[in-house]
Amino acid sequence: MPTLPLVSFTLFLPLAGAALILALPRPTARTVHAIGIATAALTLAAAFAMWLRGVSGAGFSQVEELEWIPVIGAAYRVGVDGISLPLVLLSALMFLLAFIFTSSLRERPRAYVVLALLLETAAIGTFSALDALLFYVFFEVSLVSMYFMIAGWGHEDRQRAALMFFLYTLLGSLPLLLAILGLYLGSPEPSFDMRAWIADPPLDGTAAMWALVAMLITFAVKIPAVPLHTWLPAAHVQAPTVGSVILAAIMLKFGTYGLIRFALQMTPEAFRDVGLVILVLGVVSALYGAFAALAQTDLKRLVAYTSINHMGYVIVGVAVAALAVDPAVRAVALDGAVLQMVSHGLVTGALFFLVGMIQDRAHSREMGEFGGLLNTVPLLGWSFVLTAFASLGLPGLAHFPAEFQIFMATLWTVPAAVVVVLGIAIIAGTFLKALRETFLGEARERWHAMPDMSLREVLTVAPLLVLTVAIGVAPSWVLEVIHRTTAALAL
Amino acid sequence: MARDLALLLPEIAVLLTAVAALCAEMLRRPRIALALAIAGLLIATGLSVPMIGMDTTVFGGSFRIDTLSVWAKLILLPATALCLLLARKDVRGTAREGTVYTLLCLATLGALVLAGAGDAMFLVLGTLLTGLATFALVAYPGDDPATEGAMKFFVFASVTGAVMIFGLTYWFGAAGSTLLSDLSSVDAIPLAAIGGLVAVIVGLGYKASLVPFHFWAPDAYEGAPLSVAAYLSVVPKIGALFAIAQVVRDLPTDSGWPIIMAGLAVLSMTYGYLAALVQDNIVRLLAYSSIAQSGYFLLGIVAVGSSSLALPSIIVFAAAYAAMNLGAFAVTAATGRHLHDFNGLGRVQPLTGIAMVVFLLSLVGIPPFAGFVGKFMLFAAAIDVLFTWLAVVAIANSVLSLAVYLRIVVPMYRPTETAIAAPGAWPGVVALTAFAATLIIGLAAQFLLVGPMAGAP
Repeated sequence: MPTLPLVSFTLFLPLAGAALILALPRPTARTVHAIGIATAALTLAAAFAMWLRGVSGAGFSQVEELEWIPVIGAAYRVGVDGISLPLVLLSALMFLLAFIFTSSLRERPRAYVVLALLLETAAIGTFSALDALLFYVFFEVSLVSMYFMIAGWGHEDRQRAALMFFLYTLLGSLPLLLAILGLYLGSPEPSFDMRAWIADPPLDGTAAMWALVAMLITFAVKIPAVPLHTWLPAAHVQAPTVGSVILAAIMLKFGTYGLIRFALQMTPEAFRDVGLVILVLGVVSALYGAFAALAQTDLKRLVAYTSINHMGYVIVGVAVAALAVDPAVRAVALDGAVLQMVSHGLVTGALFFLVGMIQDRAHSREMGEFGGLLNTVPLLGWSFVLTAFASLGLPGLAHFPAEFQIFMATLWTVPAAVVVVLGIAIIAGTFLKALRETFLGEARERWHAMPDMSLREVLTVAPLLVLTVAIGVAPSWVLEVIHRTTAALAL
Repeated sequence: MARDLALLLPEIAVLLTAVAALCAEMLRRPRIALALAIAGLLIATGLSVPMIGMDTTVFGGSFRIDTLSVWAKLILLPATALCLLLARKDVRGTAREGTVYTLLCLATLGALVLAGAGDAMFLVLGTLLTGLATFALVAYPGDDPATEGAMKFFVFASVTGAVMIFGLTYWFGAAGSTLLSDLSSVDAIPLAAIGGLVAVIVGLGYKASLVPFHFWAPDAYEGAPLSVAAYLSVVPKIGALFAIAQVVRDLPTDSGWPIIMAGLAVLSMTYGYLAALVQDNIVRLLAYSSIAQSGYFLLGIVAVGSSSLALPSIIVFAAAYAAMNLGAFAVTAATGRHLHDFNGLGRVQPLTGIAMVVFLLSLVGIPPFAGFVGKFMLFAAAIDVLFTWLAVVAIANSVLSLAVYLRIVVPMYRPTETAIAAPGAWPGVVALTAFAATLIIGLAAQFLLVGPMAGAP
């Protein structure tokens, strides 16, 4: 029986929605948003169907292939494994919530929704591509749509931030192109098939090391890892709320996903050789992000810096996986790293939504200007408290099982690197300070009239809170899928 | 003889087209001249299609019917037809409208002669033919900037042409033949080999506007009618670059020409984009950008003879470049020559805005557009012959180029009060065709690749 090409279906649904919106002559804002939400909902349903189909363990599942440029060995190849499937589902969910949140937008909604749909296809494509050329195409298309999103709908200083974001990440992603070309020219028969490159890494020795360095530059910019992180706070602060959410929840994952898929799996020897360096990079990133977050007074910048901290843990997890000798430990480290990506998407996505809601109401993000918001807007306040606790790694919430596994594997492999745990304490301090200044204490006069969350906003945040708790309490439903692949991973 | 002429049918068709357009002009029927020219060019394109995959020579090896020359026809003839449509807007109702169409056809014939050159004399002939026709085209408006531009163009061309002819005598003396395929024997006399090479680079490098032979380009582009600037940036340039590829194919790699080409590539890319970064005049900006894009072609040329990716990469990038550059010029023709003319274009004319953004991003080399496929293959070709450092420099320049092209994109989405007219019929058609080509080449490069990859050494 020919099976429905679910992956391609999920991948191109948003594009079809975008085409539909462009084809309509002068649609109203309501129509545009309705099409956006409907498309994203269908995409989520399709992604969920992918989830139900599941993955088989070794290698990739649900593979779909079509000839594209056969003479140079490039083809349309998509499929998922336990590492990419949770990220595909996460992307589909976050985009649906983003469309719900943004449905109040009246400033050029058509272009905005089209760009966001384009971005959704790019995101799902990046996670499901099994052809290096195809991966690169999606990777770059996401950049373009995000640039226009920040430049068109961002805040005060958006032009500069958008330009910085585009230049920085383009400069960052071009080394990946070199690495892909190197792997291509090094492979026995000309092909961009990522499965072949993973099964039998085409480069070794110095060539592999150069390819790895190129890839590390690309992914370190994207993740972002210290010292290549400087674009992130600027881009986040200037981006519109939905832009920040997508950037943090989805696009940062391109970096960590690439780190596993490309760097770890295609140049495993070289990765192991410099594993310690990458580990140190991760530790520094996590600690620097934590300390920098502590120093912020702008809520959005604060959340942006905690992202650097959380993604630092992912780098630590991947580096430990490379260094670990025992396959069981390696699987634990990778499980933690992948789950951390999912948790970070949910939690930080929610935080950016909530900060966006505060900004919509108060037109300010400075913590010092608030106080006692818990009394004036209890629903928003308690949601923020819950996500903040999740973000600082409280047991029972999404980050805990992920970070726990990463730290455990680190302790087994490179005990000294466990200093990174300090980051948790600092992030805890950061969030407690933010909660005290913003939500506790006396409610100020000027914020008394602040309305609490509307139905649209509740609908946006509630699924994230539910999932945060669900993963925290019973992570096994996600971990089981991830583990099937990580346990079978041969490096 | 009959076989040779049969293989030259497309060139003959272009020549007859030029003559027919001239006859129509003599009868004072410029519209008929335009129609004849476009029909003739499309017929010539059709005549070239059956030749895909051929690899032979005519007239004793002096003219080549190979991958490069066949694809030059398939790319340059439609590109010229688009330029003719653009030219209609510029020269409509002027005194000698029909001659413009005739000259454009003749210059294209020169570019085709260059792209298929198998003999040093054809290099000279091709340069002269394109040169003479384009001097007149640049000077056509007859005002001060046009005259100044044409004068610089002419003086520059005369000097570089003379240098090239002088240098070719070295090759002739050393090899005893003007055939390019006999060049391998020049190696015995290194000084003559180098003298000839330098001279050919000067002569063809000026036509391709490579740094440091580019000085004429910005002034000539600025003075010329916009359609002629668009034409100059595509047709003679691609012809000359293909001619360089034809020449270096027969040179032994150890004579050091690849490193010279790599040096020119670095200079052209870097200088072109740095200079473009400070232009406020779109035509000058695009002129400098086209200088930089010439540098990218050299990445493929460096690999000619050693990598099977070299010729396909040059051809794919040529097709991509023709589409996206003509598209950018077509939008400029509809909008205005100054950066501030683009204020708010994307808001007032969303479709034109999208098209321009696609052209510019494609020029940067961002997927999934045509420019990406072209540049990707050029990088692959350069890395394949171990010029990885050159690919790295090219990549750094791509980032620089983003800053250049975003200077046009950013004002396009500023709020504006001024009304911007929709593009007229012809620039609209040209932009639409170029837009479709940019997307199709980007997503379905396969069709362009089958021929060149099969015919590659």
